[in-house]
Amino acid sequence: MPTVSSQDVLALAPVAILALGGIALLLSEVFLTSGKRGYQAFLTVLFAATAGLTAFGATPGKVFAGQATADAFSAFVTITVSFGLALAALVSASWLDARGAERGEFYALSLFAASGMSLLGMASDLLVAFVAIEIMSLSTYALAAWMRRGKKPAEAAFKYFILGAFSSALLLYGTSLVFGATGSTLLSDVARGPLQAGGSALLSAGLVLVAAGLAFKVAAVPFHVWTPDVYEGAPTPVTAFMAAGVKTAAFAILARTVLAAYAATGGAADSAFPRVLAVLALLTMLVGNLFAVPQRSVKRMLAYSSIAHAGYLLLGVLAAGLPAVRERALSGVLFYLASYTASAIGAFAVVGALESNGQPGDEPADAWDLERLAGLSRRRPLLAFAMTVFMLSLAGVPPTAGFVAKLLVFQAAVGAQYLALAVVGVLTSALGAYYYLRVVVYMYMRPAAEGEPAGVTSPVLSVALAVAVAAVVVLGIGSEPVASLARAAAAVVR
Amino acid sequence: MADRAELWIFLLFAIPLVIAAAGVVAARNPVNAAMSLVAAFFFLAGIYVLLVAHLVAFLQILVYAGAIMVVFLFVIMLLQLHDQDMQDAKLKAMQWGGIIGASGVLTVVALAIQQAGEIHWKAVPESFGTVKAVGMLLFTQYLLPFEATSLLLLVAIVGAVVVAKQRI
Repeated sequence: MPTVSSQDVLALAPVAILALGGIALLLSEVFLTSGKRGYQAFLTVLFAATAGLTAFGATPGKVFAGQATADAFSAFVTITVSFGLALAALVSASWLDARGAERGEFYALSLFAASGMSLLGMASDLLVAFVAIEIMSLSTYALAAWMRRGKKPAEAAFKYFILGAFSSALLLYGTSLVFGATGSTLLSDVARGPLQAGGSALLSAGLVLVAAGLAFKVAAVPFHVWTPDVYEGAPTPVTAFMAAGVKTAAFAILARTVLAAYAATGGAADSAFPRVLAVLALLTMLVGNLFAVPQRSVKRMLAYSSIAHAGYLLLGVLAAGLPAVRERALSGVLFYLASYTASAIGAFAVVGALESNGQPGDEPADAWDLERLAGLSRRRPLLAFAMTVFMLSLAGVPPTAGFVAKLLVFQAAVGAQYLALAVVGVLTSALGAYYYLRVVVYMYMRPAAEGEPAGVTSPVLSVALAVAVAAVVVLGIGSEPVASLARAAAAVVR
Repeated sequence: MADRAELWIFLLFAIPLVIAAAGVVAARNPVNAAMSLVAAFFFLAGIYVLLVAHLVAFLQILVYAGAIMVVFLFVIMLLQLHDQDMQDAKLKAMQWGGIIGASGVLTVVALAIQQAGEIHWKAVPESFGTVKAVGMLLFTQYLLPFEATSLLLLVAIVGAVVVAKQRI
């Protein structure tokens, strides 16, 4: 009979620290004596940093009867999520403060979401994965509904909730079918294939449903329909956190699940499961990029671009099917997630800074229009520079993090003989450069319209942007330390 | 002979279950849909009893048919939905899309079952579905998800309060 050892408990330390942080921030609201809430964001950053640091020190191994795995892979996910949480908390502090909506519950829910994401990075059991996904999702549903001023946010929050619940139901149904076929929810048992020869069809049906549920969470086409509306309607810092954190955690469990599925059903390019994934990756890259082109709203463009990035990441997960390139593909995916976290949160932070006219409650209908960025280089040179760096990184232009990330993923795809998909990836990236660079052109080459406001910035936001810019540039130029960390993390996942 | 009897009892629960479940989807009035759902839960509990999973059957009635359905009915009555809200042309199109999609899924699952041929299921242990067996599993093999659920419930409570606030 399995018993709980101290190693089991210690392995969960990052999750526990994030959850305790959430409870501390909930209580901070109870014992509040003044209206000043500036410390809450710093407390969040502190908890995120502690969780990230403890993730480094975890002893590798399976814990809780194999239900979770503490390894370099889960540590990398926890660190990326904690980094994203810290950045998003600083961005939120500035954004919420300008609107008088800063509350302890906001940070508490962010911390709870991050603890769910961290647990998801460790999950090696479909049931743990389900509970972790629900912790993450319920927190982000509530965060998306944080400010319901106007029609769009309410609609976005509701849509997110309904479709999220639907995808969870798919995931759970798939899990039950997998349990029926293999007699276990452990991914290591799923990898051994069905108990009986006839159970393979049942197992495939279950795995497809699980994959569909996860594809909802990572916003892969054709499960992406909710993404543009939700990303546009949710408060901008929440969108930033959702885009970075949810994607990181969901791809972590998707990678572990897909590897188990490969082992159970065969990972060769001509077997059924990789073919389904290949179609998903192809559609996601094409649709995400093509729909981003005509968008005038920068926030909506970033939402479609997040779909496109999910496509590139799926390509990496697909390439991991071939054991020879598995390590390279997974390390590429991990590096991509880290680079996307810094770039996307930074880009959404700039969008959030510009969407208000300065007075509380004064939010124009075209808050995210490209025109509002016109002439930003003269009004706010540093803000324009930061946005340029993020756009270049998202487009994959050297010497930014996005370039190295794309290079690693495409190299792995070529190594795994997915030549056509890699070519599509490169071509759609070129298409992506068009709509990312359009933002830069507007900032630097279009004159500002009369009376365009400068937006709302604050010292905390400047710190967050500086950190994000530094991360993007450092990951791009000196990518080796993080890349080797990602390789080490990928090496343990078999 | 025992198999034949079991099959008849299964059909006794399964056929009304499918009819009740179809009633949930087809009913125009939300209250009727909710009541059909209660009926479906009861017949499903009957199938659990047939599988000797008494605890699951008991929880099914206690939690779903009892607690959750009462909340369902409260919400429906508070919202006071009217029949005509459900008669939108767009909804009609969605219904047809749903029928096509559902029959597609049904075809795939049926093909999968047919392809699988005869599966010899492993017999479950004698204690399966009893309170003791479920408790043992919850506190040994599934301890982590069980404990993580407490965090999930906390998040759900905080989230519900946040969403229910008039204005932040």
